Amino acid sequence: MLRWLIARLGRAAAAAWLIASLVFIASRLLPGSPEQQALAEAGDLSRPAAGVLSAANQAQNRLALRRRLGLELPLFYVTRSPGPPGRWQWHGTANQYHAWVVALLHGDWGHSYRDGQPVLALLRQALVYSLPLAGAAAGLAVGLALALALYLAQEPGGLLRQVVFTLLSALQVMPLFLLALGLLLLLANPDFINILPAAGQGPADATRWQLAGYWAARAALPLLSLVLAVLPELTLPLVALLRYETRAGYATTARAKGLTAMQILRRHALPNAVLPLLTTLADLLPTLAAGVVVVEVLFALPGNGRLLAEAAAAHDYPLVVGGVLLTAGARLLGLVLADVLYFLLDPRLRPAA
Amino acid sequence: MRYYWLGSLFALLVSACSTPAAKQASTPIHIRWARDPETLDPLALSNPSAIDAINLLHLALLQVDFQHNKYAPALAQDFPGVRYEGDSLTLLDYQLREAATWDNGEPVLATDVDFTLKLMHCPGLPNENSRAQYGFIRQVRIDPANPRRFTLVCRSRSAETASISGDFPVLPEAALDPAHTLRSLLLATLQDWPLSRSPAPAVAAVVRRYQQANLARQPHNLPGCGPYRLASWQTNQELHFQRKAHWWADKLPAAPIVLQARPQELVFSVLPDDAAAALALRRHDIDVYPQVPARIFQQLQASQAARQELVFYTHSSYDILTVGFNTRRAALRDRRTRQALSRLFDPVRLLAATQLGQGTRTVGLLPPSSSFYNDSLPLPAYAPAEALALLQQAGWQRGADGHWRQPGLATPLAVVLRYRAEEATFATTGLQFKSAAAQLGIPVTLLPAEGSVTTAALQAGDFDLYIRLIKGSPFGLNFATILHSEAIGSGNFTGFGRPDTDRLLVAISTEGNLARKRQLLRRFQAIIQEEMPVLPLFFLPYRLAATRQLQHIVPSGLKPGYAMTALAWPAAVPPASHP
Repeated sequence: MLRWLIARLGRAAAAAWLIASLVFIASRLLPGSPEQQALAEAGDLSRPAAGVLSAANQAQNRLALRRRLGLELPLFYVTRSPGPPGRWQWHGTANQYHAWVVALLHGDWGHSYRDGQPVLALLRQALVYSLPLAGAAAGLAVGLALALALYLAQEPGGLLRQVVFTLLSALQVMPLFLLALGLLLLLANPDFINILPAAGQGPADATRWQLAGYWAARAALPLLSLVLAVLPELTLPLVALLRYETRAGYATTARAKGLTAMQILRRHALPNAVLPLLTTLADLLPTLAAGVVVVEVLFALPGNGRLLAEAAAAHDYPLVVGGVLLTAGARLLGLVLADVLYFLLDPRLRPAA
Repeated sequence: MRYYWLGSLFALLVSACSTPAAKQASTPIHIRWARDPETLDPLALSNPSAIDAINLLHLALLQVDFQHNKYAPALAQDFPGVRYEGDSLTLLDYQLREAATWDNGEPVLATDVDFTLKLMHCPGLPNENSRAQYGFIRQVRIDPANPRRFTLVCRSRSAETASISGDFPVLPEAALDPAHTLRSLLLATLQDWPLSRSPAPAVAAVVRRYQQANLARQPHNLPGCGPYRLASWQTNQELHFQRKAHWWADKLPAAPIVLQARPQELVFSVLPDDAAAALALRRHDIDVYPQVPARIFQQLQASQAARQELVFYTHSSYDILTVGFNTRRAALRDRRTRQALSRLFDPVRLLAATQLGQGTRTVGLLPPSSSFYNDSLPLPAYAPAEALALLQQAGWQRGADGHWRQPGLATPLAVVLRYRAEEATFATTGLQFKSAAAQLGIPVTLLPAEGSVTTAALQAGDFDLYIRLIKGSPFGLNFATILHSEAIGSGNFTGFGRPDTDRLLVAISTEGNLARKRQLLRRFQAIIQEEMPVLPLFFLPYRLAATRQLQHIVPSGLKPGYAMTALAWPAAVPPASHP
């Protein structure tokens, strides 16, 4: 089991490395460039002092910028020269990829092109907001999904059950942006209900506890948006699984023994239905990672999702690659954890079995 | 007492969510920013938020007076005296204010100006934008008899050189180069230093000290001479500026508007989403919402509650929505074809659809408020019949298959229109043109793309037409950056440029006599309308919404759209009651 775990973690690390390397190379081959973003747009009349910025002047500025950002080196060990005849050229270790790898192995994730700050520090700063938000959303959503699934999987019928089912189906097709905006307009709107804060830092003279309370309230809307967005994805398959299990022979036996519907669901059907739920949980990370981008933009939270979205828009490659490495690592680790949980819950699935 | 904490928390939330507190002079003014400044490095000038913030920390020789939309002396005692040397040099004689000091009490001297200009040319610093903008200043001649007097030697004969020569934040030499090592190097030497050559040891040492200061994130590592200091910065959330208790300009007997700083505290809230920012304004989380999009502005004005709480301003800006034609394309080489296509854009309907009808139509690249505006020219208008006639005059004939063909051209007339994808106004303009062109049988392919991809395509000439916003200003009339043949491949995307128009553009930028300049500019506008390399559709408006209690709101057509240091709360205001 230990050998399997080490091999699996090694494969996950290699996969994360491969993904980050691909993003590293692909980002630099994309049209548009960081210097296009950083340099003031040519053809702007608001800076008349610039005079005629000829193509040669601009190329000079661009070269200075590329040199400052370390982009003047060849991209990889081997590159193809542009234009015909397009020969392959070997550059040795004097290339951007090699420099990135060496720095990474020394714990240096690079520096943001925009403000020169270390990528790791920026990611750490942003994770302070994103991790609790995504973690709390995942925990709340799983708890609610279990409770709702147990309720909905009981005998069909009942108006409330139908209403909840319909609401979940509606939530499933609703884009998160629309859902979050709807909640914002509903619960933080002076023209409607204005009970939750959605921007700002809280009153300056608030005590530490008051500030903690303020931030708890401030997190309510983004948290609610995320929970509602992932709830149907977790609940509806679980309901179907629970209903399937209740039709199995062992459930009929349990029913014949006099167990109530809820007892059958909790004691017998749920342990069997929970295994596929682990796969859904492992898939929750990408959904949440995409979700936090939306809620962080809408509710002005300085989290990881917003940081990476803005970095991608600004062609801030070091930050994008760092973020991809982190997300890919977390995702692959999540899959390994799901496998481990599978083995713990069902010994028949263990590699040695 | 058991639930006291719960009650106080609820009270805090309710007070934070709804009721505006009574405003005192010291109450912070909260302003919306759409994005974080990212870096406060005074050399970087990276985005509008950063430029606004840097203007609070540092001062320039001349600063923008938003009330009159013109430059006014700030660190400089007065506007510079102008002299000319030879055919191509302008000499600007500046005198710094006696009272101007850094935070540590040291005076601001000519050596600081010289040092700042040299920093713009030190390799390895984020100074590429500053270098491009102020590279025309070749030398600083310091008066040996007066350390506050100096002459800027500028490689330009432009009439506007004087006013635009002083708009850069001046930095203290003593903090970054205490041994004055850069003084031994001439500014021109640094400017001409080849990129391939390693920098001089003195330059490398200054660069190292500058980088170690980490001014991008910790601007307090460098003394400033501006009215504010950065109190806190929560990335992507909030920047808090506090007014200095003892600022040198407070001692001036009659400080000009550019040296007035009324707010005691300015808080910039970074709210990327427009709808969320509008709600934040309604909830009193922010007090000023500049650059309000048309749709949000309309919604706020439609709400009776919002009208009671807020004031609204609209001011014509210098940003022009333009369409550009690739004059190098065979199909668009004939000006009549370009004129024909220009008649298919409908500025009136576009203005109504995208800007609530609040922009200003124009005949050319100058605003109608300019004294150089050519009011004899007709305003561009939607005229499909004229377009048809012009196409026929240009030799286009419509075939049986519905396509337009010109003798000698293998392919029928079809247009690829590029624009930045994130701009709704561009998309609406593109769709309107596509629909109008379809009625004449001209196929149009819309190619919206990310900003830098679009710019790269325009510079490479990979387009037929483009839609873009040209950011203008009232400070200079230098159109060479977008229409001179030397700027092809750089800022001149259209490929337009002839020897006579190049000469005209240079003459416009150097002419000092107002009457002759007016004549040249009127001719320029007529030529552009005739040749149609670009079609200016209209000047966009700047919209601003602010809390009604706020005073001294000075809206402006220049970014950020208002004078932030002029804002103030009234002396005493009772708390407003809201239903």
